[in-house]
Amino acid sequence: MEKVIWDIEANKVTSLLKEGKRVDGRKFDERRKVTVQKNISDNAEGSAKVNMGLTEVMAGVKMMLGTPYPDNPDKGTISVGAELLPLASPQFEVGPPRENAIEIARVVDRGIRESKTIDFKSLCIKEGELVWIAFIDFYVTNYDGNAFDAGSIAALAALNETKIPKVENDKIVKHEYSGKLKLAKQPLLSTVSKIAGELVLDPTLIEEKAQEARFSCAVSDDKTMCAFQKGIGGSFKASEIDQCIDLSFKSAKEIRKLV
Amino acid sequence: MENKKEEKAMLKEAKPVSKETKAEEKPMPKEGKAEHKAKKIVIPGDLIAEGRKKLGQHVFIEDGKIFSDTLGISYPNSETAYVVPLSGIYMPQRDDLIVGIVERETVKGYMVNINSIYSCYLSADKCRDRLEKGSIVSAKIDSVNEMNEADLFDVRVFYGGTIIRVVPAKVPRMIGKNGSMLAVLKEGTGCSILVGRNGWVWTKGGDSKKLAEAIDLIESEAHLNNLTVKVEAFLKGKKVNE
Amino acid sequence: MAKKDEKIEYVKNGKRLDGRKVDEIRPLKMEVGVLPNADGSAYLEWGQNKVLVGVHGPKEALPKHKQNPYKGLVRFTYRMASFSVPDRKNPRPGRRESEISKVSGEALEKAIFLERFPNCAIDIYVEIFDSNAGSRAAGITAASLALADAGIPMKDLVAAVGVGKAGGEIILDLNKNEEDAPDAVDIPIAIMPRTEEITLLQMDGLLTKPEWSKAVKLGIQGCKQVYEVQKEALRKKFAEAEKGK
Repeated sequence: MEKVIWDIEANKVTSLLKEGKRVDGRKFDERRKVTVQKNISDNAEGSAKVNMGLTEVMAGVKMMLGTPYPDNPDKGTISVGAELLPLASPQFEVGPPRENAIEIARVVDRGIRESKTIDFKSLCIKEGELVWIAFIDFYVTNYDGNAFDAGSIAALAALNETKIPKVENDKIVKHEYSGKLKLAKQPLLSTVSKIAGELVLDPTLIEEKAQEARFSCAVSDDKTMCAFQKGIGGSFKASEIDQCIDLSFKSAKEIRKLV
Repeated sequence: MENKKEEKAMLKEAKPVSKETKAEEKPMPKEGKAEHKAKKIVIPGDLIAEGRKKLGQHVFIEDGKIFSDTLGISYPNSETAYVVPLSGIYMPQRDDLIVGIVERETVKGYMVNINSIYSCYLSADKCRDRLEKGSIVSAKIDSVNEMNEADLFDVRVFYGGTIIRVVPAKVPRMIGKNGSMLAVLKEGTGCSILVGRNGWVWTKGGDSKKLAEAIDLIESEAHLNNLTVKVEAFLKGKKVNE
Repeated sequence: MAKKDEKIEYVKNGKRLDGRKVDEIRPLKMEVGVLPNADGSAYLEWGQNKVLVGVHGPKEALPKHKQNPYKGLVRFTYRMASFSVPDRKNPRPGRRESEISKVSGEALEKAIFLERFPNCAIDIYVEIFDSNAGSRAAGITAASLALADAGIPMKDLVAAVGVGKAGGEIILDLNKNEEDAPDAVDIPIAIMPRTEEITLLQMDGLLTKPEWSKAVKLGIQGCKQVYEVQKEALRKKFAEAEKGK
């Protein structure tokens, strides 16, 4: 029922692209307007809300104490979770995260982790016994496509605000902080959709309905990439991947000013 | 080496026709078809032909070239580009003769399992006999829609007998040229046999154990030449042994 | 421990820790038609990785609301046996397996003529019984063979390999030691070999664009090596019947 309408909309996207236009009038390499609002939650150690066109994401970081992995006794870690809330779109269902949410969370996680922006050794309190685990969770509250980028921007904005709680006798002292979490890099994800053979940055929901393939690239600075993810059933030529990478470097540069 | 084998095979099987050895240049007798020509094992994505050709089954065109879409055998010298698959489920096609089993009764008819993706609906008006769950029927495919759902006609009910399962892709070899293989099987085993295009073979009476063995032989060597001769020898050999 | 790693020369005189050249894949063996109960199946050994794949279908996709009237669904399930890794793996499927299942299924979709099977599903079950880096590439490679074995119509096979970086060198088909290098980059890649279209691409680790250009070339070349072994395995299915009698 609903699908029928999407098919018509998706056809519109495709036919316009063939004329060199996008449904919302953006250029192929243009992002939707991004606004970032920081510190949206007092209980979180760091938090942010990101609006990217109509897509809205809330992210928060909770710093928790835990024991390190046996193979990395002197390192803390991070954990990223994503939830596509049912209120964000009629397509999302209540219940544990499905594979879409898992994929988004894992790609955002890799972008942050692999950029080595957080020195995991600095998260160690007592070797082999006590380390910080930064739980970064984001919730998509309104979905109009591309939760990958919105999630990545929100996660980074929240991390940039994150304070490290004070620890006494191996316990967290509530509402007292010992300092801020240090980030060495500003890793950001950029997602490109391939629709009717064209590459467009930052797809909206209808563009996602029309896409053949999707490619996300996280970059940690102007020269270095730190994560890739190709998704959806279609394919890319190697030269198209190169174009996507160039778009990612360019786009991340702009977004860095906001977070 | 492959070619020599081909030629030998051709000589044996096409004995009444001629002693011509360069088979490829001559148009083959109608029912002789594929077996007599040079053949090639192909996998999905293998090039079948560069130029224009009539298109048969299991091929597709990309950039003006013809490729195989399945694992099977192609015949480079045939007029039509096609591939005989090695495996695959049965997809109903109009006019196929199939063997089915009644799965359940509905208000006005029956659902018949035909060893494909969907069961077929069979209206009670279309069959004279009353069927029940488990009845074995033969029927022809009337029409197939875009979802691969089929309608049946010309339904006949079997009383008794059993079903032997064959890989659907190998059914043509079980029948043989002009039914030659089927005739050999019937004669050699004394069974009544009806081969469904869907890979279900109904059989009754005769030496059904021997029939099953012969069918195994056909299945494992379906892509080889001289199969009819081999099966005949197998069936006769058995007789001698007994 | 970690400090020791930094001194390892991952490539010395053109040879890697296990004696391979930079563009050499680990020993690769494949066999099709190994499971009588599946419509198609394949078994693959790639270095220490051991993978069994079964394909069922096409069949009606259930529940009904999951059906797509335009094309068939590919449902890919990647699972690791509890004993397939050094520490026992919790047999409950985790997030990693969930993601690998998703991207692996998507890597095969374009090769299959799915539009011929509206409302249907093709189920692919990949079980990893032993692993040492590169199990997802092994799973996709074997799954593509099992699909061909099931007679499912396809445009091409899909061949996959891992490419990446260790100790500053771009190398093909990383093993676990190389994947644990401090600067390791892991790039699983899958292509349809005839057109070189990329259907799976992931990466983690720090990589520059010139390194990427080198890696993608090596990756495509690696996939083609894998493709040759795939072709051989499928052809062998005929050859065996011919020899056997």
